[in-house]
Amino acid sequence: MHVNVKPHPQFPAIYQVTLEDGAQRLATRNLTPGRNVYGERLIRCEGVEYRVWDAFRSKLAAAINKNLKTVPIKPNHIVLYLGAASGTTASHISDIVSEKGRVYCVEFASRAIRELVNNVCAYRLNMLPILEDARFPEKYAVFISGKVDDIYCDIAQPEQAKVLADNADLFLKKHGWVMLAVKSQSIDVTKEPSEVYKQETKVLKSRGFDIEEVVHLEPYDKAHAMIVAQFY
Amino acid sequence: MKATIIECAFGILAFSEENALVEKVLFSKNPQNAAKTITKIESGKIVDEVASLIELLKKKGYNKFVFENASLAKEAEKLGITTEIAKPSRAGELVRSNMERFAVETGFVKNAEEFNVWTHNVTMEIAKLRVKGAVEKRDLIIAQAIQTLDDLDKTINLFMSRVREWYGIHFPELDRLIDKHETYARLILELGNRENFTVEALEKHDMSKSKAGQIAKTAEASMGADLAEADLKQIQTLCKDVLNLYQLRENMEKYLETAMEEVAPNVKAIVGALLGARLIAISGGLTNLARRPASTIQVLGAEKALFRSLKSGARPPKHGIIFQHTYLHEAKKWQRGKIARALAGKLAIAARSDAFGGRYIGDDLKADLEKRLEEIREKYTEPPQIPEKKPQQEKKWRKNKRARKR
Repeated sequence: MHVNVKPHPQFPAIYQVTLEDGAQRLATRNLTPGRNVYGERLIRCEGVEYRVWDAFRSKLAAAINKNLKTVPIKPNHIVLYLGAASGTTASHISDIVSEKGRVYCVEFASRAIRELVNNVCAYRLNMLPILEDARFPEKYAVFISGKVDDIYCDIAQPEQAKVLADNADLFLKKHGWVMLAVKSQSIDVTKEPSEVYKQETKVLKSRGFDIEEVVHLEPYDKAHAMIVAQFY
Repeated sequence: MKATIIECAFGILAFSEENALVEKVLFSKNPQNAAKTITKIESGKIVDEVASLIELLKKKGYNKFVFENASLAKEAEKLGITTEIAKPSRAGELVRSNMERFAVETGFVKNAEEFNVWTHNVTMEIAKLRVKGAVEKRDLIIAQAIQTLDDLDKTINLFMSRVREWYGIHFPELDRLIDKHETYARLILELGNRENFTVEALEKHDMSKSKAGQIAKTAEASMGADLAEADLKQIQTLCKDVLNLYQLRENMEKYLETAMEEVAPNVKAIVGALLGARLIAISGGLTNLARRPASTIQVLGAEKALFRSLKSGARPPKHGIIFQHTYLHEAKKWQRGKIARALAGKLAIAARSDAFGGRYIGDDLKADLEKRLEEIREKYTEPPQIPEKKPQQEKKWRKNKRARKR
């Protein structure tokens, strides 16, 4: 069987790949042809190179596979990415927003950002690494020009919804979107995951967000959920 | 007149009270220099750019200066000016939401595209500087060394169990006679064939007479198979490498002793270099260890048990990695919890003193700790009375806890 790439029916700049063995995978168009980020497979189809998107390593891909209805991140968007780590998901977002978009990658572990700077941002001009703590957005306000279209938040912090809202107050456009990857275990191990999700959505609601949907990420990630919300 | 001073990715700008741009100092077009300047400003240092901007403003008749960065404002007062702090200031908001426009208007770049490239380069440089700053600390090097030590132990054990199995074909009885890996490897390397295991040869290897006699006797009566010279040679090569690993381990330990003396003398005084280094490695750095409460230090390394206890109401762990300390593993079982608490408490103080530039108080801490240990040993000589129905009671309690949660 031949490798086959077709655009995702709902989301621009996201593709569906059928591999030789018939397996279905997500993919994005590679902004830096010939170069992969985390050992993912590169596929050429009709002169265009795509990067296969591993749903077991990226919560965004997992959420899309679990039938997420809205993916607010679109071409030409400016995205603030909190908790970029070494750039697995961030690089795919960089593919989606393409050259005209921008991704601000906030990460505060120096070990992780080392890889982000050397392997990812050095080749992707639309990604800007910021070594700062997402809990103190004023500290990196200097680097973010204008307001951003979306905020993607994947920080393993007990107060992640609050951190996200603080950032949204400073940087997010009116009617901008947020995606919050909740790791229930890092908020409260003793609570049931669904309780934690509820609590986090409550925080977002109280801070001026409309919750669009909540998707659980099993079997890709245990006790994880993706919350998508719009800012008012 | 009042002026607000805002630093941004391409220079330092000054705004009047009406939020009009009145003066500016732009960076040179070298991202590395700009990154250095920005990081200096952030840490509250007055750089040439800020000083010259203030001079320019003074000439224009401004006498009050507003900063967003409190420590920068404090430093600027040394230049003989009055300062204010506004966070965030309206001028700052204005700059941040129109950064591209300002960059073009001030003539720093020709267009937005050029500005995007510039900000990309500057943020890259800043991130690199920060990584460098974070990595330059010695405690991370210690963490690597202690992990290497653990890896060495694992490797040595792995190879030695292979050697014992392999040489066991020839001389199976030796395995039980010699416990110490290092001695075992040395004997094989230097004596080789079991025929050479004579009393005289063994005594040369610091073996007591009775032990040497026992080994020599077993060697004669061994039920092992004969081993060809070539086969034996391979085993000996492996033994040699293992002995080299032992040498490496010893050097690493010495290195850790000196490095810990420099980086964390107080922690070292209480728990020794190796355990101290291990605590630093688990917390991810000395400052991280110093920020932890004593209760966390007490159970560092026992995360699995701790979270199990939080989740299911099982009994919490008494000690984590600090169990490796002789105070604990040689103590009586019912005293360990108390000792662990005392030890962790002193450790927390020691780590803080090391991380935040305190004096050497290790000896005092250690003396206090030993006093407390004496108290514990005297007061709790007998094991506590365990209620007879305990297992059942505990079960009930767990059930209650689960019920309460729902």
